[in-house]
Amino acid sequence: MALERVMHVEDDESIRTVAEIALTDVAGFTLLSCDSGQSALAQAEAFAPQLILLDVMMPQMDGLQTLAALRQLPSLKTTPVVFMTAKIQQSERQRYLDVGAIGIIEKPFEPMELGDTLSKLYQQHITS
Amino acid sequence: MQPPIIPADENMRLQALICTGLLDTAAEPRFDRLTSLVQQCLATDIVLISLVDKNRQWFKSRQGLQACETGRDISFCGHAILGRDIFEISDASLDPRFADNPLVISAPFIRFYAGVPLHYNSQCIGTLCIIDPKPRQLTEAERQILRNFADVIEQEIADRFQEQSHQQLAASELMYRSVSEGTRIGTWQWNVQTGETVFNERWAEIVGYSLAELAPVDINTWLGLAHPDDLPGSGRLLEQHFAGQLAFYDCKCRMKHKNGHWVWVHDRGRVVSWTEDNKPLMMYGTHADITEQKHAELELKASRDQFQTLVANIPGITYRCKADKDWTMLYMSGSIDPLSGYPASDFIYNEVRSYASVIHPDDSERLDLAVGQAIKDNQSWLLQYRIIHKCGAIRWVEERGRAEYNEQGEVNFLDGFILDITEEKTLKQQLLKLTSQLPGVVYQYQQWPDGRACFPYASNNLQKIYGALPEQVKDDATFIFSKIHPDDLAGLANSIELSAANLSLWQHQYRVCLDNKKPTWVSGRATPERMPDGSTLWHGYIEDITTSKQHYLELERLNKEYKLSQQRLEMASETALIGFWQASLVTGELWWSPVIYQIFGFDENTTPSVALFKSTLHPDDKDLVTASEQRALETGLHDVVHRIIRPDGAIRWVHELARLLPVDENPDQILVGSVQDVTERMQLQQMKDAFVSTVSHELRTPLTAIKGALALLNSGKLDQVPEKLKKLMQVAGSNSDRLAQLINDLLDVDLLLAKCRLISSHCL
Repeated sequence: MALERVMHVEDDESIRTVAEIALTDVAGFTLLSCDSGQSALAQAEAFAPQLILLDVMMPQMDGLQTLAALRQLPSLKTTPVVFMTAKIQQSERQRYLDVGAIGIIEKPFEPMELGDTLSKLYQQHITS
Repeated sequence: MQPPIIPADENMRLQALICTGLLDTAAEPRFDRLTSLVQQCLATDIVLISLVDKNRQWFKSRQGLQACETGRDISFCGHAILGRDIFEISDASLDPRFADNPLVISAPFIRFYAGVPLHYNSQCIGTLCIIDPKPRQLTEAERQILRNFADVIEQEIADRFQEQSHQQLAASELMYRSVSEGTRIGTWQWNVQTGETVFNERWAEIVGYSLAELAPVDINTWLGLAHPDDLPGSGRLLEQHFAGQLAFYDCKCRMKHKNGHWVWVHDRGRVVSWTEDNKPLMMYGTHADITEQKHAELELKASRDQFQTLVANIPGITYRCKADKDWTMLYMSGSIDPLSGYPASDFIYNEVRSYASVIHPDDSERLDLAVGQAIKDNQSWLLQYRIIHKCGAIRWVEERGRAEYNEQGEVNFLDGFILDITEEKTLKQQLLKLTSQLPGVVYQYQQWPDGRACFPYASNNLQKIYGALPEQVKDDATFIFSKIHPDDLAGLANSIELSAANLSLWQHQYRVCLDNKKPTWVSGRATPERMPDGSTLWHGYIEDITTSKQHYLELERLNKEYKLSQQRLEMASETALIGFWQASLVTGELWWSPVIYQIFGFDENTTPSVALFKSTLHPDDKDLVTASEQRALETGLHDVVHRIIRPDGAIRWVHELARLLPVDENPDQILVGSVQDVTERMQLQQMKDAFVSTVSHELRTPLTAIKGALALLNSGKLDQVPEKLKKLMQVAGSNSDRLAQLINDLLDVDLLLAKCRLISSHCL
């Protein structure tokens, strides 16, 4: 099954804009873009994403906390997560993979390739 | 002329004649009176008592004749003794037997002769004869007168013999008595057939009695006093004597003295008469008291036995031998047996083998030369050589010997003493081997109160230490002292004096300077002993300690340095707040350095324990620490940074580092580790991490948006962009790339620094 429905959680509006164009106009996904963890929690079940693209560093609720909260929702228990973060250390990367991330995308990202990257990660995940 | 014939029983006749004891004796009145009477009665010129000896006739009594003897061959009596009655010649000049007889044709010009044979013990020994120079014929009456005189003379001869025998007997009796008195010899006479015995007083006295006390005596007196053990032997000897096998009965036996002790008696005797059927009849004998002699003999035997025992018990071998090539043994004590494996009897007169044959061939020539020289110089010899035992083993012996010379200075024999020194020799060789193994010199040093000194013994290493051969200093130690470092000489002399005065152990270290060499340090140690001549003898050992002295000095220097660095470390550990600990996983023992108490905020009196340490662990870090401990079991390295909660509630960061050595190198499983308080560093780290995180987030977030937006615009996927605008957007895009690279590089440097820290902390 191809990736179509993606939920993006990102507090920075500029990045949200760039990502929205990249994932809809360029990649052709159905996108739910949220500006905070709380907002994501509120809409996630209704949207029922195939994949969640989650920013790590956010005020109030960071990426890890948001993920933990999303996992509390019955329909989001196994939804694959890809973290997006500024360039990270190896130990940090491991921490994200440990909590269930199927991939990590570093900032700054290449908007023309973002959709393809997510599709590939998703395909790898569902076939493994 | 016809000489008289010799009668058949001439020997018996002569014996009887000799028995009379008349020949060549002085004239005696008893015979001369009778011949004188015959001369008067028969009116004749010459009257003779003529004894016819083997070759002559000798006149015991003569009347009317000067000559005292004439030859038998011309004698008339030689004829007369052949008959039993009167031999009468009326006119010799007319008788063919005597006509030319010198006694007829010259003085005394015999014409008439009449001789009556004289007898003794039934043998005719001579005649009583009358002679006249005129012819004559005897009447029968005259003949009877002559016969009667002859009988009287025969009686005189017999009487004379009896008288003389008595006198001789008396004389010999006297002599015998004086001899027996003088020699204190007891005598006995025994009638073997009747048992009657006669003892003299001395016989009884020997056993402490008087004859009166013993009376009545017979052969049982002797049998009762003789020692029962000696009687059988005495009886046997007696039988042998009776049977003629022994000329004398000769026996030494014991008799019981009146006082109860035993007296040794030399009993000698012989049978002097026999019965007609040849049984012993009378036996005479003597008793001599030989008790003292016997005691002396017994003492001699005892002392000889003692000598033998002594010789057998002394550890060596005594010998007497000839000075020949074989060393022919005349005497050799039995101890040669264990030494050579052959009995002494083998060597006596080279019975089985010569002593020379058991001497090691390599030693025999040396031995011959040395003994030969010693004999020549009249010196004793002391030699060591080897003997080959029967079993082939080599035995070392030491022989001391000397030659015995006769009055002419010739060698009678060699006397000596051989001692088995194999063990000594072996020990000595072992000792030599041992001393040669020792790095130092084993020695004896002797010093006299007048300052003289020498080294009676020193092992070969003396040369290594003092550059002198042991022989060089055997009699004079001066050379050694010339090699002592001048600065050490006084101290050395002092230490020796002190040891000699108190007989205390001598121990000293000093320097020895051999020519053209660096001084060496030596250490000596010796035990003194006072000798009878007042000198002191040390037995000791000296070794070169130059190297160990250097090591010692080096060690001292290192020790100082170690102390210094120890101090530095303590200071450093206090300053850096690094504590050390040591734990044995086997015994559970735990030790903490003082800084640990400071880090953990423990009271100084707290007893260290693993449980106490664990109780301080921050709950959030427990898993972290456990994981590191697990890893340590595999890798041997425990390296973890974690938080602790101190008793006062403060939270501190500590860096634990520990290394566990492999079991085979570390049987007690000792774990050594350090704990460093890294709270400040951790706080700084966290501040910095937060900074870096903020910087990267704060810089990247806008950059991400800018870059993303430009990338979308430049992709041409959206609306068409005029060429000029496109150029400007490309400029903006490449600069945003550059900016992104700059930020990456900045964060890379930080990462690099963090890695370096990690590596260096591992290296610790």
